[in-house]
Amino acid sequence: MSDQAHRDTIFLEDAEVLSQEAYPAEQYFLRLRAPECARHALPGGFAHLRCDPLLPMRRPLSIMRVSPEEGWVEFLYKAVGEGTRLLAAKRPGDRVSLLGPIGRPFEPHPERPRVLLIGGGVGIPPMIFLADALRRDRRFRPLALFGSEVPFPFQARPSQHLVGGLPAEVIAAMPLLDDWGVPSRLASLQGYAGCFSGYVTDLARHWLDRLDAAARAQVEVFACGPHPMLAATAAVARDFDLPCQVSLEEFMACAVGGCAGCVVEVRTPAGPAMKRVCVDGPVFDAYQVFAD
Amino acid sequence: MDVGGEPNPRLSIEFCGLRFATPLVLLSGCVGFGEEYTRIRGFSNRDAGAVCLKGTTLAPRLGNPPHRICETPAGMLNAIGLQNPGVDHVVREILPKLDFGETRFIANVSGSTVEEYYEVTRRFDDSPIDAMEINISCPNVKEGGVAFGNDAAMSARVVAACRRATRKPLITKLSPNQTDIASNARACLESGSDAFSVINTLMGMVVDVERRTPVIGNNQGGLSGPAIKPIALLKVHQVYQVCRDHRVPIIGQGGVAGAQDALEFLIAGASAVGVGTALFYDPLILPKINRGIADYLDRHGIASVSELTGSLRLHAPEASACGCAPSHPGG
Repeated sequence: MSDQAHRDTIFLEDAEVLSQEAYPAEQYFLRLRAPECARHALPGGFAHLRCDPLLPMRRPLSIMRVSPEEGWVEFLYKAVGEGTRLLAAKRPGDRVSLLGPIGRPFEPHPERPRVLLIGGGVGIPPMIFLADALRRDRRFRPLALFGSEVPFPFQARPSQHLVGGLPAEVIAAMPLLDDWGVPSRLASLQGYAGCFSGYVTDLARHWLDRLDAAARAQVEVFACGPHPMLAATAAVARDFDLPCQVSLEEFMACAVGGCAGCVVEVRTPAGPAMKRVCVDGPVFDAYQVFAD
Repeated sequence: MDVGGEPNPRLSIEFCGLRFATPLVLLSGCVGFGEEYTRIRGFSNRDAGAVCLKGTTLAPRLGNPPHRICETPAGMLNAIGLQNPGVDHVVREILPKLDFGETRFIANVSGSTVEEYYEVTRRFDDSPIDAMEINISCPNVKEGGVAFGNDAAMSARVVAACRRATRKPLITKLSPNQTDIASNARACLESGSDAFSVINTLMGMVVDVERRTPVIGNNQGGLSGPAIKPIALLKVHQVYQVCRDHRVPIIGQGGVAGAQDALEFLIAGASAVGVGTALFYDPLILPKINRGIADYLDRHGIASVSELTGSLRLHAPEASACGCAPSHPGG
């Protein structure tokens, strides 16, 4: 039959919890053994987890890191409701049903090697996955800017990497990215040491303002985070005439395109359309989602 | 693993002249236009006797604003609002890509007017679709849908119009949001319905107490999942009383999440059993339910699953503690 290329691209795995680490503000790093998902996942993809048999509806979580070699998938999430709280109670050795990987990934373009990654709160994980992929591809020069209004789920430290065009006092970085050789900077309104005092999108604007036109023409923006942050990111990208891809979230039931429960309204040449966040996204062109 | 294996032949049923490989039917609105779940390795449409496609109207519909779904105790609310690309797109672009060798495909006909139901049915009639389900019970659209389905006379008019448009099997999807589902079924049967789907979702609401708004963008939605199973079973039993003598089959549906549930529906009067919300829990549930039904047939020495249909043995009225007829609990 024609057009069945999508078949057998998502895997259902009975995933063992390998580790779960708690950070302030009910943030958790969760590592699951899920070899098929680890082998096939791409940055921007997510998995649909059954948090507990008591709560049969699954929860979509962005993938933060994978190890195809070791067969694990890692997530960073915040316990915000009943499902994620039950997930937070899982301990090493427990099992979690995982459906994944799901979704259209980010698509960086080599002609725009200056990749600006903007992550807010629990929108940080897919940016880490994308940074991990880009550092292995020497064509790209990513810069990650993360914002959070609760303590970052890692111990920030002064960056080893100089980044021109940023305020001199903004030195706090995510150690994992720093060790990877990916420069990062942090922003918050909470006055955390070494962080930019303001919104992460204001930090992005500050950096872009100081690029010359030739450098700016090499920038592409990727973002994930709360809806207002994504709207602000789209506005910044529009002001500097930059392509921008955003990863969205919405309540999901099936997560494979069957129920149309997770749609977002997008603008297309043919007029407005409702696109499924699960399989038409979660990555969308920011200009299709956010109006002028 | 059942993956790749054909279902047990004893699970095969005949439904309105169509052969279903198993009594399981994937429900409209849960599996898109038939291909979406095949993204998952191990999922096969061959494990279902039939697949009901997403509700289809004459013109494309954008559907309702988000949020469209919300989890509830033992179930979920949805208010999708019949998002679909319109019948012409479905017939021209989608049906040719389906593999009719894998299962039977049933269209779900929706509309806002009797004329629209007629026209959508007519266009599906001129397509390879195996049968049509008349959706007069969608709770999530302002016009048509359940507004027709809760009125026996209107239901009958819609069915009669669809009947004029096709000789393919017509399955009327009945609403539980009405007082007398049996009378409605009788009216639809007399207007030419070949079969029934019992039940569609029950209307419900969830409130966000922080915002003091409904969680669902459409304010209200349809409740599905295990929470509605006892209601669905009783409705199937009631409709079966109307259908039995006419040999009109029922697709029993509402909260089926395992073989035990499917068996309950069959015994209560269903010939086939719908699976919807449970796929969201376990996308590979179909072979498990099939195997569970087959094990039951083995254990009870039953040759074919169709022997179970309507095999319910009611308690005699005098055995009931309250002295009331079991078909009117609490009455």
